[in-house]
Amino acid sequence: MEIPTVEDLATQLQAVSGAKVVDADAALQRIADVDSLDLMEWLYGFQEQYPHIPADESLFKDMDETTTLRTVHGRILALVPQQV
Amino acid sequence: MSGFALTGWGMAVPDQVRTSVELADHFGVDEDWIVSRCGIRERRIVAPGETTASLAVLAGRRALEKAGLTGADIAHLIVATATPEQPSPATSAFVHHELDIAGSAHDVNAECSGFVYGLMTAAAWMALDPRPVLVIGSDTHSLTVDPDDRDLSILVGDGAGAVVLTPTPATWLRSWNLGADGACTGSLKVPAGGSRMPTTEQTVRDGLHFARIKGNEIYLNAVRFSVRSIRETLASGKREAGEIDHFVPHQANIRIINSIMSHTGLPPERLITNLERFGNTASASVPIALTEALDAGRISDGDRVLLAGFGAGMTWGSMLLDWGGVTR
Repeated sequence: MEIPTVEDLATQLQAVSGAKVVDADAALQRIADVDSLDLMEWLYGFQEQYPHIPADESLFKDMDETTTLRTVHGRILALVPQQV
Repeated sequence: MSGFALTGWGMAVPDQVRTSVELADHFGVDEDWIVSRCGIRERRIVAPGETTASLAVLAGRRALEKAGLTGADIAHLIVATATPEQPSPATSAFVHHELDIAGSAHDVNAECSGFVYGLMTAAAWMALDPRPVLVIGSDTHSLTVDPDDRDLSILVGDGAGAVVLTPTPATWLRSWNLGADGACTGSLKVPAGGSRMPTTEQTVRDGLHFARIKGNEIYLNAVRFSVRSIRETLASGKREAGEIDHFVPHQANIRIINSIMSHTGLPPERLITNLERFGNTASASVPIALTEALDAGRISDGDRVLLAGFGAGMTWGSMLLDWGGVTR
């Protein structure tokens, strides 16, 4: 089962937002040129690309100054069914 | 079975303008933030005395004049609105009276998909009864928004748009798709004022008669359902996205529109939009954009015109028209 890396997520978010830099360890709320609609646009693309991962907008639930793309990646990994 | 032709069109918006500069001041943000967020620089807002029905009457009258008809020629009136004149009777009753409509009348509430739903209803109606139908989309959502709700205040504008359908042996409607998902009722709603939560002093005090939006959910679902609907309409119409001459979507938010176009492959230059000047006028947005495009001479016989709407509920719909009709 294909599971994206955190670097993959950063590249995808950079592509949809047009942001010059997306640092996986920066607070999502602080990344220049990335807003909540960019995150939704990224999420739509993610859902299309990885339909086997049940990701939805709850990935960004309770987003605050500590929420990074790495945080989101961790939440995605938690959604992936365990491989036997 | 009879087809329909769109032979009249018209629009009406209030004179009062609310700019993004004013809203930026109110909310303590930059105008650029608002424009980058939704693509809207100004919207028209009703003044006291202007209502959903009064705008609908103006738009309807202009559409009738364009078609060379009067209310006496109209067999049925459909008013699409989610912001009715009053809870009862239907807004169409008020419009029916003012326009001296000879035939029957009813409202359609499919939120911002209302005009597309109304047009499909009219098309089906005319297959049974080939006489002229007037379809109007009219909304005054500025009256349902908490002035301190930034997410909705920056979006909404008021207005009405109308079309007259007359019978023709030619086929204008090439393909269509309508859909709904009632699991999404919480994404955009006015909680109070209906049977689920009747109006009380408490609901008024608590602001429960104002619309509330979960913007992220709406964005995701609007894109998802619109993309699906447009793909189905194109497939059943045996057309590729690149073959569409004009795309007239619900003017909700330029970010949503751009996303839908990107994911469906619709060429950006085919977009008809006036979002920057009128904001999101809900059921009125498609017929207002269509009217402006027609009055500007942008649409000609033989063009392929794709209409698309999506709204709270959620509801969605798309229609592919062969403008001028095709004789089969």
